[in-house]
Amino acid sequence: MTEYIGEHLWAGQLGHALAVISLVGALLATSGYFHGTRTGQVEWTRLGRLGFRLHSIAVLGIVVTLFVMLFNHWFEYDYVWKHSNLAMPMKYIASCFWEGQEGSFLLWTFWHVVLGNILMWRAKDWEGPVMTVFATVQVFLAIMILGVYIGDVRIGSSPFLLIRELPENLGLPWTGMANYLGAIPQFADGRGLNPLLQNYWMVIHPPTLFLGFASTLVPFAYALAGLWRKDRTGWIAPALPWTFFGIMILGTGILMGGAWAYEALSFGGFWAWDPVENASLVPWITLVAAGHLMIVNKRKPTALFSLFLLTLFTFILVLYSTFLTRSGVLGDTSVHSFTGDGMLPGLLLFLLFYIGLSVMMLLTDMGQRRFYAVISTILLGIGVGLQVQVPAILLFGAVSIGVLVSAYRQGFASKEPEESLWSREFWLFIGSLVLLLSAMQITFSTSVPVFNLLLEPFDKVFGWIGDTTGSSFFKGLADAKLAPPGEAIAHYNKWQIPFAFIVTFLIAFGQYLRWKDTDMKKFRKQLAVSFLVAIGITALGVYLLKYTWSELTLIALFFATTFAIIANAWYIPSVLKGRLKSAGASVAHVGFGLVLLGALISTSRQEEVSRNTRNMDLRFLNEGFSNSEDILLYRGDTVRMGDHYVHYTSKRQTGVNLYYDMDYFAAVPRSYATGDTVRVGDMLFEAKEAHTAGRYFLEDQPKHWTPLERFSRRELWHTEDWSSSAPGERLFGLAPFVQLNPRFGNVAEPSTKHWLQRDLYTHVRYADLALASDTADDTWMPDRLYDKHVGDSIITPTAMAIIDSVYIMRDSVTLRMLGDQYTVYAAQLRVRDLYRPDRWFEARPLVIYANGEPVMGKSAELEPLRIRYSLATVTTDQGPTMGHGGPIPATGGPRIAVGINVAESEFLVMQAIVFPGINILWIGCVLLFIGTFMAVWQRVR
Amino acid sequence: MKRSHIIAIVIIAVAVGALIGSLYDSSTYADLDQALEHPGKEYHVVGTLDRSQEIVYEPSLNASLTTFTMRDLNGKTCKVHLAKAKPQDFERSERLVLIGEANENGEFEARDMLMKCPSKYNEENKVTG
Repeated sequence: MTEYIGEHLWAGQLGHALAVISLVGALLATSGYFHGTRTGQVEWTRLGRLGFRLHSIAVLGIVVTLFVMLFNHWFEYDYVWKHSNLAMPMKYIASCFWEGQEGSFLLWTFWHVVLGNILMWRAKDWEGPVMTVFATVQVFLAIMILGVYIGDVRIGSSPFLLIRELPENLGLPWTGMANYLGAIPQFADGRGLNPLLQNYWMVIHPPTLFLGFASTLVPFAYALAGLWRKDRTGWIAPALPWTFFGIMILGTGILMGGAWAYEALSFGGFWAWDPVENASLVPWITLVAAGHLMIVNKRKPTALFSLFLLTLFTFILVLYSTFLTRSGVLGDTSVHSFTGDGMLPGLLLFLLFYIGLSVMMLLTDMGQRRFYAVISTILLGIGVGLQVQVPAILLFGAVSIGVLVSAYRQGFASKEPEESLWSREFWLFIGSLVLLLSAMQITFSTSVPVFNLLLEPFDKVFGWIGDTTGSSFFKGLADAKLAPPGEAIAHYNKWQIPFAFIVTFLIAFGQYLRWKDTDMKKFRKQLAVSFLVAIGITALGVYLLKYTWSELTLIALFFATTFAIIANAWYIPSVLKGRLKSAGASVAHVGFGLVLLGALISTSRQEEVSRNTRNMDLRFLNEGFSNSEDILLYRGDTVRMGDHYVHYTSKRQTGVNLYYDMDYFAAVPRSYATGDTVRVGDMLFEAKEAHTAGRYFLEDQPKHWTPLERFSRRELWHTEDWSSSAPGERLFGLAPFVQLNPRFGNVAEPSTKHWLQRDLYTHVRYADLALASDTADDTWMPDRLYDKHVGDSIITPTAMAIIDSVYIMRDSVTLRMLGDQYTVYAAQLRVRDLYRPDRWFEARPLVIYANGEPVMGKSAELEPLRIRYSLATVTTDQGPTMGHGGPIPATGGPRIAVGINVAESEFLVMQAIVFPGINILWIGCVLLFIGTFMAVWQRVR
Repeated sequence: MKRSHIIAIVIIAVAVGALIGSLYDSSTYADLDQALEHPGKEYHVVGTLDRSQEIVYEPSLNASLTTFTMRDLNGKTCKVHLAKAKPQDFERSERLVLIGEANENGEFEARDMLMKCPSKYNEENKVTG
């Protein structure tokens, strides 16, 4: 055995030991609580408590150990090396902790431990069965953190592995070196946290989101406990505040993710229907549905089966989301999904176990439960044994659905008369089902990569259907190469806008309905005002935001959200008589309406103001791409963009960030004085009188301008175009920046100007990253070298230069100053402006040769074209010309080759989007949070 | 018929509709041969950047057009017009997923691109000594 130098082995060993203890503790807790619940013997329950406490301490120990390792930069550990480095500020240690798979599992486990301990303390007689479920979940999570091998299959992954112990490194020569840590430079510093994640969002977003995920376990555990104890309604009351707590935290986590994307990432929006975003949204939707059904069923059990289904489903969806985003099945479809790393088998097992357990518990009969459990185990066992996992899972799914249906018919089908059509419970029930549908649609579309796996066994069937019916749809299914919808946002919006419409409409009137039955006359009277006001506001909105009839679905949603906001706000004074204690639901509903309204307005009326402002002729290009959405700004340039003029002032570096300072000026009407000349097309006009320009030249022309009859070409070139506006006073500055990171790639981060009613969001798409310190001059883009002959032309995007001649300068001053060994060459260029093809310029760059080598040169800048030509080399085909005298003939004799460097004035490419009404969304978020908190508070008390 | 039955039927109908809808709207992973055979049909094409060919990005002409050559997993190459600014570190990308369609000229017009750059991590993971 080699004695390695400089390793801190005790930390890893301690971590492993604690992971084992946490697993043992979770197993003890499971069996203790299980038998305690079954037999009612207090000794068993005590053992369960002991086990869970042991587990809790071990998990806390693991967390502390990992923090210590990160804090001390022990880079011999893979997790530390991968997720931290020396340069990183200490405040981001927490972000390193949960950046990776293992750390985020640990975070999830940690929250379960916290919630579990609260339940041990508060759950009273529900403690036994609820904690049994908790403990089983902790067993799975402990295994995932421990990282065990079952045969060749790795389940989970440990954060305490040394780099030299990684399977891919085993047996490499360096792992035998005792001093490898000191000898190999890579170990001196870690890879570091992706700069994209070095901000406070990464500190607060994951813990919130994971607390949200963790809190879905509480209602799940209560529901299973209720089924287990055959107390189908008693669990609802204690689970209810937890459910709304989960709604609040998970909702906050999701919206934080949106705010992060909007504020600090250059996605160009706050929601993109990315699989990872969907994975957190779907459980929230079903949790909301479950929470509302709990309210219904707590009063009188009318939709118990749906309630159980939704509650159990929510946690299963959390597991499914984890499976989707962490097992690697999403593969290429998401920007920010994790790669597999051997998580798939463990996560799949985790998921299938809880699906099976949920279905089993919904059966009422003990014998049937056993039968289902045995059948499922055999099916999946055969699947694994014979390597036919997919058909086995499908068969398991089919059996489970069958069992679900029979469980409903045996144990839940109601024999009571149905509730009244105009009762609150009925419409709450409908609303919950719509939410379930919405969640299912998102799940289906996010799961497209999973369908490929599931459809594989049916290749032949679908192929046969496709061939016989000629349907390309089925042929596509047979290929099993489905990719997510190309137009993802359009696809999801198409489905989700109608769902959102129904849900918000229900929110609007739901609270005005009474339990059991409603006096419809009173109901109509109470709602009439809100309804009319909503119609009025919608009409105003349609007018102001210019919605057209083709956007009917958007108008409908606009109306429904406004109606929901007003009706719920009005509910507080009119029905609750201002009793704020019970106003939680109304406030939350107003918030939800505002979130949707803000999202609707800002996304449907977002305007890419950077689009098409330069009116550049895109002749050289493919027709399809003429619609450029980005703006190009030269340094020092002032360009009209939306309601402003934007001026690219300077760039500067602070730390790893390269800032591009932009100044924004008001656009004011341009004033012309008598005698001013302007160019319009190929004509020149002279102002008859001093005036302020109108919107269009054609309107102004008869009154204010006389065309000039005679003018030279030169005058035409040098006269400015007519414009209606001019930059006025400076209003504000923005500094979008690029975070420089050679290891992970540079990241552009946006800069946003916030107003009350809209935001201007800008980020750099493309820019020169050189600074004045790197090169002599940063006001030019990098040179591009063209090797040409005399008579050739150089075509760059904005200009065409014809190399007329190359000659040796022999005037006396040059000769006297330099002496004999120097030769000065000059290239005579004629340059044509490609944007105004009648405009020609001349340029004469020089290069000085000494002893056959170029020593220095003088470039020629053409300011109007923002271009610079430098002569780099002059050679004949036989070698460097060393002749003396006169112009070198372009034809006859050896051909003259020149190397000419062309540089453009420094520029950057920026995208700018105006989001109107986005503050409505953020206000909604805050109200949603406050309202849910009020509701939780009221129920806890 | 009871009201709950009607609701159940509506729910099942919408759920089936959503399932088929998501399958129907879904795009298809394809190789270049297949994409070029069906111009105008949208595909996801997985491949790599052909580094031997020039990457053309002329922001002063069009800030949202990058032209390059991609090689699909079968080794076939094709010229690609991507309607986006040239991504940071494009040259270092290891794997590309292009979303778009072929045009009549046998070129691929990509609306969007997902890019993965794991190579920069792996290079450093391969510690040799």
